[in-house]
Amino acid sequence: MIEYLLQALTPFHIALALGGVIAGTVIGSLPGLTATMAVAVLVPITFTMPPASALILLGAIYTGAIYGGAYAAILLNTPGTPSAIATTFDGFPMAKRGDGDLAVTLACLASVVGGLVGALFLLLLAPPLADVALAFGSVEYFWLAIFGLTLIAALSKGNLLKGLIGACLGLLLSTVGVAEISADVRFTFGSEVLLGGIDVVSALIGLYCIPVLMDLVATSDKHLKVTHAPRGFRLLESLKISWRYKFNLVRSSVIGTLVGILPGAGGSIAGLVSYSEARRTSKNQGEFGKGAPEGVQATESANNATVGGGFIPTLVLGIPGTPPDAVILGALLIQGVRTGPNLFTGEGSIVYTFIFGLILATLLMLPTGLLIGRYAYRTIITVPKAMLVPTVAFMTIIGTYAIRNSISDVIIMIVLGVFAWILNRAGYSPSPIVLGLILGTIAEQGFVQAWTIGSATEDLMGMFFGRPISIAIVLFIVFTLSYPMLKAYLVRRKEKSHVA
Amino acid sequence: MSPEQGQGSQGIDLGGIIVAAALIVLGIVALWDTTNMADADSFVFPRMVAISMIGFCILFIALQMIAPSIGTNEEAGVVGGSSLRRIGLVTAMVLAALLMPWLGFLVSGALSFAAIMLLAMYDQWTPFRRLVFPVVGIVIVAGFYVIFAELLLVPLPVGSLFG
Amino acid sequence: MNKMAVAAFALAATFSMTSVAEYPEKSVNYVIPFGPGGESDITARHQQSFFKGKFGQELVISYKPGGGGAVGWSQLNRMTPDGYNIMGINLPHIIVKPQQKDVGFKTDEIVGVYIFHYTPDAIVVKNDSPFKTLQDLIDYAKANPKKTTFSGSGKGTANHLAQVRFDKMAGIQTTYVAFKGTGKAVTALLGSQVKAEWGYTSVGAKHADKVRMLAVAMDERHPKFPEVPTFKELGFDLVSGAYRGIAVPKDTPKALQQKLSDMIGKINADPAFKAKMENDGMALLDIDKAAYPAFIDKMTDVYLNAAREGGILQ
Repeated sequence: MIEYLLQALTPFHIALALGGVIAGTVIGSLPGLTATMAVAVLVPITFTMPPASALILLGAIYTGAIYGGAYAAILLNTPGTPSAIATTFDGFPMAKRGDGDLAVTLACLASVVGGLVGALFLLLLAPPLADVALAFGSVEYFWLAIFGLTLIAALSKGNLLKGLIGACLGLLLSTVGVAEISADVRFTFGSEVLLGGIDVVSALIGLYCIPVLMDLVATSDKHLKVTHAPRGFRLLESLKISWRYKFNLVRSSVIGTLVGILPGAGGSIAGLVSYSEARRTSKNQGEFGKGAPEGVQATESANNATVGGGFIPTLVLGIPGTPPDAVILGALLIQGVRTGPNLFTGEGSIVYTFIFGLILATLLMLPTGLLIGRYAYRTIITVPKAMLVPTVAFMTIIGTYAIRNSISDVIIMIVLGVFAWILNRAGYSPSPIVLGLILGTIAEQGFVQAWTIGSATEDLMGMFFGRPISIAIVLFIVFTLSYPMLKAYLVRRKEKSHVA
Repeated sequence: MSPEQGQGSQGIDLGGIIVAAALIVLGIVALWDTTNMADADSFVFPRMVAISMIGFCILFIALQMIAPSIGTNEEAGVVGGSSLRRIGLVTAMVLAALLMPWLGFLVSGALSFAAIMLLAMYDQWTPFRRLVFPVVGIVIVAGFYVIFAELLLVPLPVGSLFG
Repeated sequence: MNKMAVAAFALAATFSMTSVAEYPEKSVNYVIPFGPGGESDITARHQQSFFKGKFGQELVISYKPGGGGAVGWSQLNRMTPDGYNIMGINLPHIIVKPQQKDVGFKTDEIVGVYIFHYTPDAIVVKNDSPFKTLQDLIDYAKANPKKTTFSGSGKGTANHLAQVRFDKMAGIQTTYVAFKGTGKAVTALLGSQVKAEWGYTSVGAKHADKVRMLAVAMDERHPKFPEVPTFKELGFDLVSGAYRGIAVPKDTPKALQQKLSDMIGKINADPAFKAKMENDGMALLDIDKAAYPAFIDKMTDVYLNAAREGGILQ
């Protein structure tokens, strides 16, 4: 082991890790540029490197990009990458009230913790954990998506029905375009613009960022409230908060790792699930959605934990855990590296050197993340409105275009943004729509596949309710939905007994 | 919270109802569109979702008619401000996207940047700002162009008028 | 549109023989109409390194995913036809999709210059599967109609059409479960959700430690898997797979199209390239510009018949 650690610490590898983290953080912070793209762009550079070095560079970019997504989420209410969706829920309210610097530092600490936990699981438990990826079948993904939808109850501030309506709208939007598995053309009404469907990232930019821009341009008010003089990193304060909510951090990191292992789930789901868990178990439930630090911590630690988690099935089974992993796997294939369990035994040097490199990159994220984060925050609060609004508007256009090199996506993004603004006015928040949009494809594919297999084997009930993991998820859904009522009932009983 | 946002504990949530009604129409259109899908894999899920959406919308409207006080919203976002500037912003962005195939990315991007800058300007145009803002704007647009086109190899539209 | 045509004509006219000789003078933009990390991406990446070595210019890969490739192909003929914009094409996609519904392009509007390889279809089972031979599987399927479940990548795809054709040839009824991409289909197989997979030889190569192939849909046995029989040997005339090629915008000068076709042929002829591709379980194919139209016609018949039988087309 020590020799692999030393191999990971050569100046070349340190430089790769540092450069990768910086490049990843910057790319991830631009809305529209996802971790997948960041990795894909750099693949050709790695052709000339030995496999372990290539992996370190790509892993560092990946982990940096996932963290970088937090900046735009916190400061602009726009998730830089889909993984950072749940970061907006509390990060932006924090920034609004003048705690943007604190939120950025908290996100950095949480990302480092999450990244380390994920990497440790990868280092110590990869081969056995890889089986989790196989135990999750279509029906389990279906239930996982339904579990994700229970988060609507938390997101639809005040009116559950409006949340449900929004989620249905999102689910419906997810089916637009050429269907991913049945290849049918749906809801395009003959328009070429809608042929490719509604891309999740462009929808995110539209639904979250355009309303902010529209309100920003309409008044002379400052974008973020600045109540204090600059207060440095607020690192000590952040460390204290992180220590207070250490269980939240660890739980979210473990959730992130596990969700990362599941191919087809990814950082956005990891963030959402751990956010919902953090909220459910928190003592300050009322603060969630209004700027609770725990919300930011939960999402950011979980999404960085998916990096290590996602590498588990990628390296052990040759099945990519997350979309960026698919690209990295391709790069490995071209390098001639065969993935599989013997990568951990036979060709140990590549994999272990890489894992130590990933840990190194994660640690390097602390100083670089803090510095870049502070710079980003300062810029956002000091730039005059007449520069900020056009710059962000321009970023949304170029970022959305770059996702699929498509002008249609830009138009869809703007139209969705205007709708989101109008819906907001009528009390429909965009988050349930986004939730529906993200979970829609997972739910649909899981459902259709489970249904096909269930009908073929003439055991539809057994398919949906008979598999152990399914039962566990279904029970958890019931528990989560009934928990608020259960809690209220217990509190009432307690009060009664006090009175009596 | 401004009083003009007429959805306190009294009165029905008119905005909410209008949106719900519009979504019922959308749901029906979606259902109609599923009738020309041949494969069950394609229409099962959208139908299920569209029907649920219509159901929730009807339930919402019905509840508003019977008992408007149930489940009102806590917040409704920023109110007031200049609607003209909002429309201007959206128009500038849409135009930038539509003109991109002809003008190319740089020109249409720079034009929309300039337009939005004028819309977002609430301070005085001092001589300093007159000079510095456009220059910084050009630097930002060009900078992003270089990052995306040269470093990230995104094939940005060149523009058929110049290409 | 008119203006475009004029511009294209002017462009074609100004292309002297010397500029064709000097092509490529700058990097060539290679659009993959799918997302990064898929097999289309990986084969393109294989070509990428050889392109630079042979012709001195970069082959820059970019992605235009959406609509199962339809978004990219519907925009192909609107790209600048100067030889520096090329796009990957996939069969059966470009044949089957336009027949289903209006997807913004027609098969004959796509100007292909080369089909450079195919990934042969194969029936894949887990190592511990009770099906030792193709006959085992056929016997089981005959005894249990519809209960033999196959995972596969998408519908109207190579996997799906192979399933439809093979069912008919063998006189069996099986159930095809479509997944999004080969990766997910393999996961379903490895997780024992389905009994077998209609996959590719590349699956056999990538997951060699966990899966076996019962038969491959090739003319002759794959050099990497000499022990796996072909369907032909076993009496089923099934040669199919996912074919990949390169197309150009239709107004690209003919001389340049020919040159590109020759260049891709040169990459294909490189033994190192062949070795890399075969090691990944793929098979090279040399359908150059001249042979392209006849090949597409032949495959159109095969695919559309299968698609009609499979109920994908009315």
